[in-house]
Parts: sequence; structure tokens; C-alpha cells
Amino acid sequence: MGGVRTGRLRPALLVIALGVLAIPFVVPTVWMVAASVKPLAEIFEAPPSLWTDSPTLSAYREAFTFQPFARQYFNSVYIAVLVTLITLLVSSLAGYAFARIRFPGANALFLVVLTGMLVPSEVTIVPLFQLFKSAGLINTHWPLILVTALAGPCALATFIMRQFFIALPVELEEAGRLDGLGRPAIWWRICLPLARPALSAVAILTFLASWNLYLEPTVYLTSPDLFTLPQALTRFADSYGGPMWNTQLAAATMTVLPMLIVFVLAQRHFIEGLSHSGLK
Amino acid sequence: MIRTRKVLSAVALTTVLALTAACGGSSTGTSDKAVELRMTVWTSDKDQLKLFDSIAAAYRADHPDVAKITFESLPFADYNTTLTTQIAGGNAPDLAWMGDLSRDLIASDALLGLTDTLKATPGWKYDDLLGSVTAEFSRDGTLYAYPFSNSPYALYVNTDLLAKAGQKIDPASLTWDQVAAAGAAVHAKTGKAGFVVRDFDYTAWNTLATVWTGWGASAWSADGKTCTFDSPEMQKAFTFLHDAAFKTKAMPGPGTTADFFAGDAAFTVAQVSRASLLTGKFKFGLYPLPAGPKGMYSVLGQAGMGVLASSKHPKQAADFLAYLTDPENAAKLAQYFPPPRKSLLTGAELAANNKVLSASQLQDAVVDQLPDAVTLPNHTSPAEIAQKGKTALDAMWRADADVPAVLKSVCTAIKPLLSK
Amino acid sequence: MSGTRAAEPAVERAPARSTARTGRASGPAGPAFWTSRRRDVLTGYLFVLPQLVGVAVFVLLPVGMAIWYSLHDWNVFTGKQTFVGGEHYAALADDPQLPKVLLATLLFSGGVVIVNISLGLLIAVLLNRKFRGVTVFRTLFFSPVVVSVVAWTLVWGFLLQDNGGINGLLATVGIDGPNWLKQGDTAMVSVILTQVVRSVGINMVLFLAALQGVPRELYEAARIDGANSRTVFTRITLPMISPTVLLTAIVTIAGALQSFAQIAVLTGGGPGLSTTVLVYYVFQQAFKFNDIGYGSTLALMLLSFVMLLTLLQWQLRRKWVFYED
Repeated sequence: MGGVRTGRLRPALLVIALGVLAIPFVVPTVWMVAASVKPLAEIFEAPPSLWTDSPTLSAYREAFTFQPFARQYFNSVYIAVLVTLITLLVSSLAGYAFARIRFPGANALFLVVLTGMLVPSEVTIVPLFQLFKSAGLINTHWPLILVTALAGPCALATFIMRQFFIALPVELEEAGRLDGLGRPAIWWRICLPLARPALSAVAILTFLASWNLYLEPTVYLTSPDLFTLPQALTRFADSYGGPMWNTQLAAATMTVLPMLIVFVLAQRHFIEGLSHSGLK
Repeated sequence: MIRTRKVLSAVALTTVLALTAACGGSSTGTSDKAVELRMTVWTSDKDQLKLFDSIAAAYRADHPDVAKITFESLPFADYNTTLTTQIAGGNAPDLAWMGDLSRDLIASDALLGLTDTLKATPGWKYDDLLGSVTAEFSRDGTLYAYPFSNSPYALYVNTDLLAKAGQKIDPASLTWDQVAAAGAAVHAKTGKAGFVVRDFDYTAWNTLATVWTGWGASAWSADGKTCTFDSPEMQKAFTFLHDAAFKTKAMPGPGTTADFFAGDAAFTVAQVSRASLLTGKFKFGLYPLPAGPKGMYSVLGQAGMGVLASSKHPKQAADFLAYLTDPENAAKLAQYFPPPRKSLLTGAELAANNKVLSASQLQDAVVDQLPDAVTLPNHTSPAEIAQKGKTALDAMWRADADVPAVLKSVCTAIKPLLSK
Repeated sequence: MSGTRAAEPAVERAPARSTARTGRASGPAGPAFWTSRRRDVLTGYLFVLPQLVGVAVFVLLPVGMAIWYSLHDWNVFTGKQTFVGGEHYAALADDPQLPKVLLATLLFSGGVVIVNISLGLLIAVLLNRKFRGVTVFRTLFFSPVVVSVVAWTLVWGFLLQDNGGINGLLATVGIDGPNWLKQGDTAMVSVILTQVVRSVGINMVLFLAALQGVPRELYEAARIDGANSRTVFTRITLPMISPTVLLTAIVTIAGALQSFAQIAVLTGGGPGLSTTVLVYYVFQQAFKFNDIGYGSTLALMLLSFVMLLTLLQWQLRRKWVFYED
């Protein structure tokens, strides 16, 4: 059913159509913020209303006292930053080598790296748990950092970097070589600076991948002090398992808003980084 | 070229350094010089934790070789999974609270036998323990976990709401049929819920034992090997529940939540220990569970605390457990958790520490109920049984369900697990 | 020397003309072993080493270990492992719940892929024009991508409660909304919808980029020839963006097969088994029921599905994807 018309819609109709489509994308976020300042009794009132007569920040306060939320926030941030930095380094090195350097077995090794992209983390989580257990690293952040930075998301990053470097005109490197630069210098001084779009795409995707880790923290971490945000968000339950709705929504708001604000301010970089990442 | 090698090695070195940079996460090992004990609990109640800490401090004053005793609060919803992960990850605590995980732990020899230690502790008074509450945590005559919380299920009544609907009940001779009738009337007149089996929420079906025991039904045989879910008694019990949910609307249907303690239901079946949720917004009554066709009965929810065999300091851990549960400290714990000690089980004793319930309420609902109480159904592999049972039982919660057929399917689903 | 163009096929073409690459190190004494070619090869290996070590240690080794686990019974409390051979694999055939799980997986993955790609394409086509507010809409549609998965799922869970916002809104127009999360079919719809709305932004961006890469001349030529919009779309647009469609299909399916957090947080696999997809079933067996052996077997089955699907789509690219050269 290819009823999509590519030419004749009047702009106003288009805006309306898009507006309707956009509702499920926007309303949840708006509702989340609105509900987080409502008193608990009003959260499920019918008929539903966005505004409340008695907004309160008590849910926000409770989010911090119920769990070490500030600490957990910090955990998520520093892990994501560290993972992103490591991945940027590792993937740009590997992507460049696969794209530009001829060495025996390169194609085969690249396929090996690609499998890293395809293996779901649920397959590897139990064996990895055992590996980290022998290293005494359970209930630390090391499994989260190492595996995310060097395995799955990094393999995708290497793929992206390789695609990008293949597309770079060789003349630029040749010029560097004529100046007597060795490979590492060429990589560092010539190719990397040009790779900004791909690097930002990688940075965004990797940061999000680390930020969104849910299975791994749940498996490796048992001390609330070490939890990351996704894990912490699901723990806002009263002593018998019932969700503390308003506290949960307040915590979710605090998790979401900063990222959204950064995104809105830098959305051009985000989106254009992705579209020029060479993924097409 | 030398420069290339320099850059390369610099890169390699930096990578290695970054990865092995010290200080990630917390250290969990205990030094051999000073003993540190850790107990996992599922409560995050500040007052309870303060009590534990004070008892621990008193213990350490007398036992200088124990440097630290920490109580780690694990979230209740995932407590079993988290504790299991800790054990499987080589990070097991020294002591742990346990609910339905106890059977698995005992069957795997993961717990230290406590009887000898407790009996050998002067002044502990082993015979003070009520026999009916230790059965759950014992095997072959040895106790593996101290049943620190033995909270019978009781019927809470919102007398204000009943009065609003013009309903009256006679607590002395209350039956389930009467409760259902009153509940249906309350729902019809006020729109609020009739009776709610708290914690059931159409998921945790083992809590329905608080109802079906009144019909003389049980989930499986005493030795846990035969499924009795499809017995005629169970059929009658589930017919009652099904009618209440779909015909008379005495019980809220699937997906509707009603919180008694917020004033949204006339009756609720919950543990006595939940009385702390009462806010004084309405007048309430607390009574033993209503009688079923087979007469009066009582159902118990228990929690125990034990010492893990994999602890690095089992002797000190067991010693601390004995101290934590000796007559003096047990009395302190009793203000939050109904104790297993006969000496503490009088209405007056319990009321001394209970701000919400009166001595006579506690006598009726707790003390008199404990000796004959039945526990909620428990078994090895509790999570799997719960899930497989629930999947089969989901078919029950439809208006047109075929009760006997659904119950039979439950037995088919859980039979392989029972015989393990 | 003409520069190499970016070529789609996976084989990289390194410049073959560099004179410094071949032959021995010219010049005075110096170890003849380390020719610049050899140094280059070493550099190549060193550059890819961290990535390879990562994949080897954190992906390949664990897969091997998972195979080992699938052949044993493992008591997590005692740590004892007993060899049981193919028992778990045989259990796959006897498991009465597995067919339901596979069905749920099929429904979920299929639903997500179909809706995600069509919706992404639709939005991209609608946004592929200049009018005021294009950027705003683009931002709006993409915004859920940067929202934390768990936060997004929690909010949707909140809205989908029987007495939650969605039913509340429906009630204002007189519709009695179902209990979304507690009935099998609506639960599956809810999970699919939540996942799609969250992730369609990325596909939209990729499609937009691809659409904007279609040369205008093609469209103009088509118009001159009198083609209508539908023909233009099916004969020109779609083939030109087919590499992107293929890529997003692969990525979306792989993602759908691995969607764990969404299911865990929104429905916990319920009601019953209706939203227990394979990846959640693996988690349940391994972590809730402590059956590592069977869990590993299921995980390996999941892995083979992902691999097969990817292989299949990659093979089909010859048939479906139109490359310029």
C-alpha cells in the first residue's frame, strides 16, 4: 500500500498530519514532568489533567533520600564518559587500520569484529559473570566499563569508522606520507581531525549505549551505592513491591531532562552526525 | 622510525594505564585481622535499621574481635535474585534474611545448622521457640534459620466504609460468605472495593492460600511431591473467588488496584505486621481470618535469618545471630516482627511495643492464631513454580473461565517441578 | 593518481601505488627486517589489537563458555556442575512454554520491524521538504532516542495503567480503554508501540539522509516523462534508498531480538507468557529460576537466530538492493 504522496500536500495539512503523528513522541515526556510534581493522590485522577493546583517537589526530595540517587547519577555519567572515550580511541584506531592498512588476515579479522556486534549480551552475560568473578570484579563498575567499551557497541563503532575512512580521499594521506609522517602520525594528525562527523556519531551512539545499560548493572551490581540510573529507576518501590509512582516519575524526569536539553541545543550535531556517519 | 615506535608505545601504554587505573568500585573482601560481618535485609525502614545497628553496637562492645557489622538493604522486589547473584558471584553475605528462598538454600546445604550453637548459648532458651513456626526452616530436626517474623494474616475492616454502606458484620462468627456479601454491597453502594487480598494483584497466587485454606484446600501435599491444586476443595474455593471477582464484584477485577490503607476498600486480607500502614484516617477493626466452609483456620507469612555456609567467619556470624535473637533482643525485635518465642507471645507483651494495635487485637489475631497456623505454600524452585502456576492460572481470571479445567492445567504445569 | 571513490562492497581498497610500501628500506645499514612494509603491517595489527582483544575476551570466549554451560547442570548455590550432555537441547523440544515464547518473539520482532520501517519512511518522506518547522518536527520525532530506555518505558507503563493517562484520554471521548498491560494482545501492542516510538527516530534520520542523497535529476526526468507520484516513489525513490532500508532492517531486527529492558520494565514478560520474548525467557531461566544450563541453551538458540537473520538479509541484498554501480 504505497499511498505516500511526495508532492502535492498543502503545507498546512502537512503540519497537522505531522503534529498528530508527533503526539506519542512528545506527550509522554510532557506528562512525565507534569505528573512528577503532582501529589501522589492526584496522579491517577480521572479525568486526567496535566496541571495540578498543588504542585509539590516532595517526590524529588524523596528520590534523593530513598536511594543514593545523586551518587547513582554520577555513576551513570562517569561510566558513560569513560566508555565513550575508550571506544572513540579503540574504534578509530581499528577502523582506520581496517580501512587503510593492508595486513594479512585483515578481512577475516574484520569479520571477527563484526560478530562482536551481533552477539546479544544475554548470551554472554553469564560466562562474563564467571570471568569477572574469578577476577574478583563482581559488584564493581569494571565489567560495565570494559565490556561496553571493547565489545558490542565498540564493534559497531569500528564499523562506522572503517566506512568513514574508506570514503576519505587517499590524497590527503599521501600528502602526509610525502612529508615523512608515519602511520600513527597520519592517523592522529590528518585522518582524525577529518573524522569529526563519524566520531560524533560514534560518541553519541556509544554514550547512549552505556547510558541505557540495564541488564549488566542488574546482574553485576548489588550495592545500591554502585547502581546506575536505569537500575535505580526501577527500584523505587515500597517495601512490598508496589511502585512509588510520583518518586519514580520525578527520578525519571531528572534522568531525562538533562539529556533532552543537551539534545535540543545540539540537535543539529546529533542528527547530522548520524546522517553523515556513512551508515547509509 | 623511532618516532613511530615512540608514538605506538605511548598509545599502548596509555591504553594499558587507563584500563588498570586504580579504584573502581568498592572492595568487598574482609581482612583477616578484624572480622567484618554483613547481613542482607530487605527492609529500608530507618527505625528498624537503627534498631539493628544499636544491637550490633552492643554486641561489638562485648566482642572486640568483630570490627564491623553492616546491614545491607536489598530491594524487596528482587531480593531473591540479588541474594542469589551475590552467592553465585562469590560475594555472599555472612547472614541473610530469607523468605521463600529458604527451601532452595536449605536443600543446597547453603546454610549453617544453628541448633547446636543456639542450644549452647547460655540463656538463649531454645525450648522457648514455638514448634509450629520452626518447621518451615528446619530439616531433619536441625534449625537452619531463625524465624524472626511470623506474621499471621488477618482481616482488616474499614468500619467507617461499612457503616456508610449500611453493612454490619459480627466479628465473632464471621464467614467468607458474609464478607463477600458485605463487600459486594459496599461496592454497589459506594463504588469502592469490597475485599482485597493484598499482594495478590492477580499475580502472586500463593497469597490466595489465605482464602483457600478455609475450604480445606492446599496447593500440594505435605511432602511437596503431589499436586493437589485440582482437588474438589480447591475447585470450590476458586469458584468462590471467581464469583467474587466477576459475578458479585465483591473483589476488584484484574487490573484494578484498590488500597485498603488508603481507604479504598472495605476489607483486606494482609499480614498483621502491615498494621503500620494504618494512618488513622478511618476507624478499623482487626480480626482473625473469616471462617470458610471447613471452619476457622489461620495462615502465616514467615521470614527467617540464617548464616550462610560460605561465610568466611561462620562461627562469629552464628554467635552474632544468637545474640541478636536472644530473649532480650528478641523482645526488641518484637515491636516490628511477631516473634517465635512463647514467652513473648502474649497480647500484653506484643502490645507493649505496638503503637497501632491493642492487646486484645494482638491476642486474637496473632497469639491465638500461631499454634495452628499454616504457612503460605513454599517449595524448592519457588520462582519457577510461581511463574508456571501463574501462566496456567491466568486463564482463571476471565468472566467465562472453566474453573476445574484451569485448575487441572495448573497441576499439569507445576507437576514436573514438584517431583524434583 | 586518481583518488579512490567510496565503494559500497565490503572489500577495502587500499591505494596500490604508494612507492614507499614495497621493497626494502633503502639507505644505509639498518635492520633489514623492519622494512617499512613490515612496519606498516605491525602498525596495522597493533591498531586493531585492542578491539580484537576486546571481542575475543568479551564475546568469543563467553560464547564458548556458554556452549560449555549448555552441556551441564549447574547448582548456583553449591557451585557444582554436572555434565548432562544434550539433555538441555532435548528439553528444548519438550518445553511446553517455548512455542509460546517463540511466537511472542516473532510477533514482537515482526511488529517492530514493520511498523518501525514504514513509520520511519513515512515521517522521513513527509519531512523531506522545506517548510517552516521542519527542524522542530525532526527534533521532536528524534527526541525519544536520547531518552533513557528505562525512563521512557516507565513513563509509558504509567500512562498505560488501567486508570492511567491513555485510558483517561480515551474516556473523555467516550471510549472505554482496555487494561493495556494486563491482557495478552494489548500487552503485545503496548510493547511494540513503546519500542517503535522510542527508536523510529534513528531510522527516520537515516532515511532522510538517504532520501536527500537521491539526485534531483532523476525526479525531474520522471516528471517530464509524466510519471505520477506513486510510480516515482516505487520506481525511483525506493530503489535508490534500498541500501539504507536493508541496513535499517538488519539493525532494527537485531535490536528487536535483543530488547530486554523494555519488556522487563513494562510487562515483566506478562501477562502469562504473552510478552515473554526469547531474550526475556533466557534471562528468566538463568536469573530467576537459576537454571544456567537451560538458559545458556536458549541463549545459543537466540544467537543462531540473530546470525541466521543477518546472513539471510545480507545474501538477499543482491536481489533487493540496487547499487549505482
